[in-house]
Amino acid sequence: MPLDTSTYNLALLRVDGRRWNDLRRLHGQIRTQAAADGSSYLEMGNTKVMCVVTGPSESARRGGAGGGAGGPAASSSSSTATTPNGAEIAVTIVTGGFSTVDRKKRSRTDKRVQELQAGVAKALAGALHAHLYPRSTIAVSLHVLSQDGSLLACLVNASTLALVDAGVPMTDYLVACTAGSTSGHGAGDEGADPLLDLNGQEEQELPFLTLGTLGATDRVALLVCESRVQVGRLEGMMAVAADGCGHIRAALDRIVRDKGAQMVREGAIAKGESIGMDLD
Amino acid sequence: MTSLKRPTANDQSHLNLSSKVYVRSTKSGKVQKIVREVYLRQDIPCSSQICSNCRPPANAAGQVSPPVLSDKPAGTKAFPQGHYLVPDTNALLNAMDLFEQSSAFFDVIILQTVLEELRNRSLPLYNRLIGLTKSEDKRFYVFFNEFRLETYVAREQDESINDRNDRAVRQAVQWYNMHLAQVKSKRLPTVVMLTDDKGNIEKAKQDKVPAVTLRDYVGGLEDADRLLDMIAESRERGISRDKKAADFLYPEYFTMSKMMTGVKGGMLHQGIFNVSPYNYLEGSIKVPAFPKALLILGRDNINRAVDGDVVVVEVLPKDQWKEPSTKIIEEEAITKNENADGDEGEDLVTEKERRALQEEVKKTHTSSSEGRPQPTAKVVGIIKRNWRQYVGHIDQSSVGSAAKSGRKQDTVFLIPMDKKVPKIKLRTRQVGELLGKRILVTIDAWDRESRHPVGHFVRSLGELETKAAETEALLLEHDVQYRPFPKTVLDCLPKEGHDWKVPASTDDPGWKGREDLRGLLICSIDPVGCQDIDDALHARALPNGNFEVGVHIADVSHFVKPSNAMDNEASIRGTTVYLVDKRIDMLPMLLGTDLCSLKPYVERYAFSVLWELNQSADIVNVRFTKSVIKSREAFSYEQAQIRIDDDSQQDDLTKGMRTLLMLSKKLKQKRMDAGALSLSSPEVKVQMESETSDPIDVKTKELLDTNSLVEEFMLLANISVAGKIYEAFPQTAILRRHAAPPKTNFDELANQLKVKRGLELHVDSSRAVADSLDACRDPKEPFFNTLIRIMATRCMMSAEYFCAGTQAYPEFRHYGLASEIYTHFTSPIRRYADLCAHRQLAAAIDYEPMHPSVRSRGKLEAVCKNINVRHRNAQLAGRASIAYYVGQSLKGRVAEEEGFVMKIFSNGFVILVPRFGIEGLIRLRDLAETEPESVYDAENYTLKLSGSRDLTVELFQKVVVRISDAKDEATGKRGAKMELVKVI
Repeated sequence: MPLDTSTYNLALLRVDGRRWNDLRRLHGQIRTQAAADGSSYLEMGNTKVMCVVTGPSESARRGGAGGGAGGPAASSSSSTATTPNGAEIAVTIVTGGFSTVDRKKRSRTDKRVQELQAGVAKALAGALHAHLYPRSTIAVSLHVLSQDGSLLACLVNASTLALVDAGVPMTDYLVACTAGSTSGHGAGDEGADPLLDLNGQEEQELPFLTLGTLGATDRVALLVCESRVQVGRLEGMMAVAADGCGHIRAALDRIVRDKGAQMVREGAIAKGESIGMDLD
Repeated sequence: MTSLKRPTANDQSHLNLSSKVYVRSTKSGKVQKIVREVYLRQDIPCSSQICSNCRPPANAAGQVSPPVLSDKPAGTKAFPQGHYLVPDTNALLNAMDLFEQSSAFFDVIILQTVLEELRNRSLPLYNRLIGLTKSEDKRFYVFFNEFRLETYVAREQDESINDRNDRAVRQAVQWYNMHLAQVKSKRLPTVVMLTDDKGNIEKAKQDKVPAVTLRDYVGGLEDADRLLDMIAESRERGISRDKKAADFLYPEYFTMSKMMTGVKGGMLHQGIFNVSPYNYLEGSIKVPAFPKALLILGRDNINRAVDGDVVVVEVLPKDQWKEPSTKIIEEEAITKNENADGDEGEDLVTEKERRALQEEVKKTHTSSSEGRPQPTAKVVGIIKRNWRQYVGHIDQSSVGSAAKSGRKQDTVFLIPMDKKVPKIKLRTRQVGELLGKRILVTIDAWDRESRHPVGHFVRSLGELETKAAETEALLLEHDVQYRPFPKTVLDCLPKEGHDWKVPASTDDPGWKGREDLRGLLICSIDPVGCQDIDDALHARALPNGNFEVGVHIADVSHFVKPSNAMDNEASIRGTTVYLVDKRIDMLPMLLGTDLCSLKPYVERYAFSVLWELNQSADIVNVRFTKSVIKSREAFSYEQAQIRIDDDSQQDDLTKGMRTLLMLSKKLKQKRMDAGALSLSSPEVKVQMESETSDPIDVKTKELLDTNSLVEEFMLLANISVAGKIYEAFPQTAILRRHAAPPKTNFDELANQLKVKRGLELHVDSSRAVADSLDACRDPKEPFFNTLIRIMATRCMMSAEYFCAGTQAYPEFRHYGLASEIYTHFTSPIRRYADLCAHRQLAAAIDYEPMHPSVRSRGKLEAVCKNINVRHRNAQLAGRASIAYYVGQSLKGRVAEEEGFVMKIFSNGFVILVPRFGIEGLIRLRDLAETEPESVYDAENYTLKLSGSRDLTVELFQKVVVRISDAKDEATGKRGAKMELVKVI
């Protein structure tokens, strides 16, 4: 039995050796699937997610001419978010049975998975310029390869990368991050530190929330908190999470720019004026 | 084509990232592979005050924790420059007591590797170590070596995890020494590894890492002899153990998995092992599968279980079933001559023990229906040891004559105060000093080849029979927290101290939501000399002919806020413990006896329950409010009684008290009609000489009408509050229940009454019990009824606190009080449960929002569990204290008193002396020079003696005994010794 989160106060170190405001190692790639419209792969610590975006493509909706009165989306297992007069965003999450320790298969109709899907879809609907694609569908398909905390945040970030790759215009990077608190709900510890980017063990033991913002601003696009936490600690946690989102945005931006620079170097695209100005 | 392979060349992060992979198995037997990230960093400070290179980390609020380790650590002969200690896991496992010493072991570095390992091995030790790291003067620093880049050690191929951990410790010590060497200082402390592992020391020598064994290190300290005793026993013999591996005295335990499967399959049973107080070779265990407890007889079957352990037992075949002993067997008498030094060549069961058991077996064959053999079991394994620290004294006879003076290490027996605990074998070099002292020891191990458990010395409490030592022993034995309140707790007190006053202005936030009840004529009635006044009362007639009655309880929850240090301390203490000459407070004195206490003539915050009662004392309505009151007078029970009885007193206060008395009598009658039991225990009060506080006399407690006045209204308040908080918080309300005792509990008493007196005991309901107890009268002997009540009380279950959500409503019932629902509300100064009830009631009447810690059910359940234990311990400690003082007051006196036979064994009987409230055992061999011959008739509870003394002793018989004081050789306690004078 290794140490648990209660040892934080001994030396202000978390269970994996981070400080309260450290992000985990973040590694990502875009355009991992050449055949897809947009694709990405993202690791936040040991949470690993793959994302494929198809579209924007013509909506599979029957009788679409009337607009808005159509039936359900093509796949019943995906969660969709519609924008007024804009594209429909359909998110599907597939969780590998091998992604958790106990190899439990989560079905696609599982309530938790559906909630994650809906969360991602709604957050994306607010960030994408979907009105440019009326009567069409943007399908975001996410595959969870490994889980170690901050899953929702990782899903959001991976979708953002894939959508950038697909060339769907958006206001800013939609980034998300978790924040927790070093002591439990009932402990009443006044001096509890907020924690950034929780791993799986911390998520199990501590209260936490997931916060998504548009870029490095304080514009909150997503806020999910399923654990009990004192109201007094909420503000600190949100501030830390928003700060973390800023760092994640920088990291995602770096990934996109590196890929772009590489593509220009390899001659995959001509170094045009519009692209070339701030690459490299 | 793009590949998913991570580029590593320009990725710097991989340098300081590692991962920890380990395998664990779940309860259901699944094996899981867990992968954890580990971030290696270079900013973890060494935390030495001489080091200027390390910068201490800051928390989110920007507070920096200063370096822990002293810049001038103590030196020893080997390390004149001073030293920091780095113990390895074994050192901590074997000698945690040493590290807790206040005379040595400062500036200790606890490595993360060691902390993790210790947590795996023993959670209690881990918690003690965490406690140490928080103590400022011990200067313990936890160094997270596994997270520091330079000290991180990766496990090598084919390297065992223990070897890897040892290597990590050496690596850390080496790094520390190199790191400190960068500082330019004349007096550079050495960082020393402390270990008992030979291999580790050798490897350390090769690597030139300073290392020393625990024994060598302690040997170089000042009071080495005392400290050496505190090193656990097991380590020492580690090397020579395999010499005589064949001489096992006890059967081997089953493996854990075998036990688990057995318990699951219903073949084995798990439960808590209890030893009979009269016979150390007989234990019982209550298991869920059977309604009655299983019997465990004999050393072999008990198989190294100690009272309180969680064990697994196997039921023996029916032909080995026995009946519970009717004989008193004391360890002291039977194993008196054992040699502490040698176990060799001896059988597990000594001849004498065997003979004692033999007689038991014989009885099984001749016994009649009454004593039918009971299911008997044997212990096959131990799930959890519940060893604590034990108080006792060294058995004089186990000490060799040479040992008393010399410095030679000697093996002696320690006889614990608690008769249920076996003798403990102890090795010590200071026998001479420890003889005649009360000492504290812990059990280290009980191996198969050792007849007795092996332990080590922790500390000495002082001379036997001195007040200080005996009181401390008593507190330790009952696990009462008696240390002074730490500073963090005292910091929670109001800054004004004794000058604190209820704010004069009613606009003050303290007045918010409070009712001004200062105009009411309130008074308090308590025992003489009571300082912590919890409750006060008032009553007045209303114009409509009804009465307004108020119970005002000290508003402790105003001063003790949830989850601060003071609240945590109080929740651990659970209750105030009253000893004869001492009170161990739950809350600091300032609150208990001043600010909260509802003293007369001053204004105090209170929590009031106000009823409107009609003439027949029925509740018309009830309300609850926080208030400010001013008590007009603090009466003692006697004073109040005199004032009520004095017809010349016609003031309003006295009239109010008369109203209260009148109403309380009606309430009591109603309660009795509902079937409340009036139980009894032999209560006495020790009178002390005021100057020396030496006990001079013992008086039985008198009960006045005013006692029952206060009691009735407290019960009424508790019941009303219970209803209210249950209504508001059906899941989390803290309540108190008293379960109906199973009918079988009364079997023996009912049978005894029937056989001896021809009386029937009906146990169908509390009402029936109450009625039949009332009928148990002997016209010639008024005390007989009380005696039966005392014995009936012992058949009852004990009442307990619980969370409303854990039981169904019908289970809430308080059997003894015949109330549907009950809680404790009226003594928040001395009981934690009351404090919780106050908080819940405050939230229920919307006075203040509920703090999360009072709302979380899991937390409240833990609180209930703890206060139940504390409550019981406090009672036991109080009783033990009275027993001790009764013994003291008898010192040098011989008294002849009447007594009653309460219990009969085949070789002795137990007598209760009401005058002193003591019970004493008279053994047959004490009756005459040569033990008289006896015939024991179990069916008629009669013991017929012949030979050296002709006598017939029967149950419930009145006798005259001569009581003198004597020291009980077995426990070292001074107590009353009884001799039978005559049978009446």
